[in-house]
Amino acid sequence: MAFSAYLDGKRKDCAELVAALRKKFSYVSVLGTDVRASAYRADRKSSMAQDAAGECGFVVKMHDGGAFYEYSLDDISGDKEALAAKIIAATETDAALCGRMISADVLRDEPLKEDFVRETDFASYGDAELLDICRELSAELCKADEKVLNAFAMIQPYTVSKLFVTEKRELSQHYGWANGILMVIYNDGKMVQAREVQGSDKLAEIIASLRASTGKVIDLARHLTKAKPIEPGVYDVITDSSISGLIAHEAFGHGVEMDQFVKDRAMAKDCMGEYVASPITNMRDGAAAAHSVASYFFDDDGVLAHDTQIIRDGVLVAGLSDLASASQLGTEPTGNGRRDSYKRKAYSRMTNTFFCPGKDKLEDMIASIKHGYMLFETNNGMEDPKNWQIQCTAEYGIEIVDGKLTDNYVSPVVMSGSVPELLKSISMVSDNFNVIGAGMCGKGYKEWVRVSDGGPNLKVRVKLG
Amino acid sequence: MSRLIELLKENGGIDGYRVTEKATVSYELFFVHRKLETVRATDTVDTAVTVYVDHDGKRGDSSFEVYRSMTETDIRAKIETAAARARLVDNAPYELPEGGELNAALPTNMDGEDAKALATRIADAVYAADNIPGGSINALEIFIYKDTVRVRNSRGVDKTQTTHRVMIEAIPTFTEGGESVELYEDHRFTTFDAEKVTAEIAEKMREVRDRAAAQKPQTPMRVNVVLRPKEIYGLVSNLAHDLNYAMVYSHGNLHKIGDDLQEGGSGDKLTVTLRGVIEGSELSGYFDSDGTELTDTCVIKDGKTAAYFGASRYGQYIGVERPSGNLRCGEVEAGTLTDEEIASAPYIECASLSGLQLDLYNDYIGGEIRLAYYFDGKQTVPVTGISMSGKLSEVLAGMRLAKKTTISGQYKGPEKLLMKDIAIL
Repeated sequence: MAFSAYLDGKRKDCAELVAALRKKFSYVSVLGTDVRASAYRADRKSSMAQDAAGECGFVVKMHDGGAFYEYSLDDISGDKEALAAKIIAATETDAALCGRMISADVLRDEPLKEDFVRETDFASYGDAELLDICRELSAELCKADEKVLNAFAMIQPYTVSKLFVTEKRELSQHYGWANGILMVIYNDGKMVQAREVQGSDKLAEIIASLRASTGKVIDLARHLTKAKPIEPGVYDVITDSSISGLIAHEAFGHGVEMDQFVKDRAMAKDCMGEYVASPITNMRDGAAAAHSVASYFFDDDGVLAHDTQIIRDGVLVAGLSDLASASQLGTEPTGNGRRDSYKRKAYSRMTNTFFCPGKDKLEDMIASIKHGYMLFETNNGMEDPKNWQIQCTAEYGIEIVDGKLTDNYVSPVVMSGSVPELLKSISMVSDNFNVIGAGMCGKGYKEWVRVSDGGPNLKVRVKLG
Repeated sequence: MSRLIELLKENGGIDGYRVTEKATVSYELFFVHRKLETVRATDTVDTAVTVYVDHDGKRGDSSFEVYRSMTETDIRAKIETAAARARLVDNAPYELPEGGELNAALPTNMDGEDAKALATRIADAVYAADNIPGGSINALEIFIYKDTVRVRNSRGVDKTQTTHRVMIEAIPTFTEGGESVELYEDHRFTTFDAEKVTAEIAEKMREVRDRAAAQKPQTPMRVNVVLRPKEIYGLVSNLAHDLNYAMVYSHGNLHKIGDDLQEGGSGDKLTVTLRGVIEGSELSGYFDSDGTELTDTCVIKDGKTAAYFGASRYGQYIGVERPSGNLRCGEVEAGTLTDEEIASAPYIECASLSGLQLDLYNDYIGGEIRLAYYFDGKQTVPVTGISMSGKLSEVLAGMRLAKKTTISGQYKGPEKLLMKDIAIL
């Protein structure tokens, strides 16, 4: 698989459009995107092999020291002067708003020309092979236990090509990612769903992981049928990597997206240099911080990928910014400008967000708890960066009694409470580490981007309900 | 689209096709505090194609997207690939919806309006509510869309509908003594009423002021909890989702027709009708993505599941004679609850939740409450920092629905829903 031939053929068009618009604006960029996705799925009764949601189009960004202007369109062929005039007319404002614009430093156009490629093994697999693997996995799950009502196996690879052009900058990138999902619907008096999600840029790894996970999914389904509601209360809790990641992402990550600083929407703005977590806590984010689903080479503003330390030894040291927020705050952008698609605005967004590993052994952490729970698998979460409240839902928990994991499952488990209280309660951090690249993240209730999160096991004290 | 249809007809390897084209023109403003930060405009077309191939007594299908950048050669290749993929897929046979032409627009007062002037009027309507001492709107995003969706298929369906819609995301904030709080709320409409927008934002400004004053009550406690329309629809749509034809076909549904969702209950009986059109909802439509005409369907009647709903294909699979289409709006029948009855015992009325958490499989309902009003029997005070949790089956059995009704987004029905004896932590 290679960089999009279509975008490759548009380099000159992009440069010409930039030149045409530069007659009016100090800074002009064009981002071209060509995302191709496929989806393969089989269950007991049906199957699917088709393209999944992709995108192909352009977004033009213009700036002149006041407001930012953007125009999204499907193609930039043809007369560039005419297109530039159309874009300028479409992004004009009502006269009443002309005196109500922000002022911001004009965006800098740093010279750079580079092409980035990360290879995948997607081309090694044909449609028939991937669909057959899904069928095989679904059939294996269905025959594993008569109580399996249905079993779904899905493989979803996609490739991303992006071209970023300004007057002095021309960047291209091409990479891919894939997710594999197993899900069973199981009825043993109580109906439950159990799932396993894998992510990698190597289909071979995903297929091997899914094949190795069928027993685990069935076992989980059996346990979930016996799961009971948790007695609401405040507990000592051990998180698995996915729940650690959920906390990093929802409890704190959204709060350091610096476009929220510009809007005075994040409490973190006033907490730089202060302890926000226990001193054994370290947290990072960045497309270059881990190899996962959000590991691009440059962001949607053409800023190269970063590895940003957000919390160092419990102290908040940095936030995450896109180009527009950095220019308004007078800071350097951190490569976190991301778009839902070329049709949407760039915001400051997380990428791969995680707590860093510590020194504790997981078995010692479990042994340290008289009565509590170990929580597993992210279900969902919701941020509240201004007020630092959290709501994170784990798929299930296992009760810990006298320092040992029991066979008592609880589901679902909702964590809620105050972010500082939660982060300052971190008393142990394990020496293992995992980042899970299968997530989608919204900002508020929209603007979906692919993210990973994770970390080590954490021991925290938190309200569960 | 016409050339695309010709190319599909020219391909001898397919037995049917569906083409959905969505053209969107938007104008968007992004404010930071009261200053304009970003102006955006978009002009895009999404074209999705599904081809169908009958083989070995089965029907296969495969979809792809057509981009404006594609050449005719590219499109021919995509059709060939999709046809080959469809031959790998062996689903039970079904028919595409047949015939029917339509060219309609959802009711709006924004057709023909200049988007730039309209956006300014919307911004003015929002900021007109920004007049509470200590309050501010820290961010405002305005999206004005015109969507034109056309669905054509190989059995004669050719339907077009146009929707004018606006989405506003406003962030009311209140600051006092260095402490600052906010609430998040979005507003969506297809008919612009400046006074209504100002009134809705003003209500949120009052609520965010209350959030600043809100205290965490003594917990744990058990108390009646009142939900408002957004959460009521969240509850109802989760119950309805379980009754989708596709859920039934895949054995994922928890309930079957005739099940009593409120068994042994003494509350108001729940009657839910899923509708194609709710006045003012951006999700209203006359047909779904298959081109199936939407038929209003009562899915829960007097507390018992009454019908399934959903897409034509899965409807045919489970033997439904006239599939309803994928309905996206819902109406709940009014109940008997009055404000006086609510106030006859202590209660918490939720004004802002992080999100209602529902798990039908685990019989759970709960959520983190960011702002609520607690009536302790004598006075009402704003509260925050609490969460609720309960058994969904017990909530359904005992719940009460308000006599007064309202329209909110894709929901029409009681203004309030009362859940009895909920655990608050």
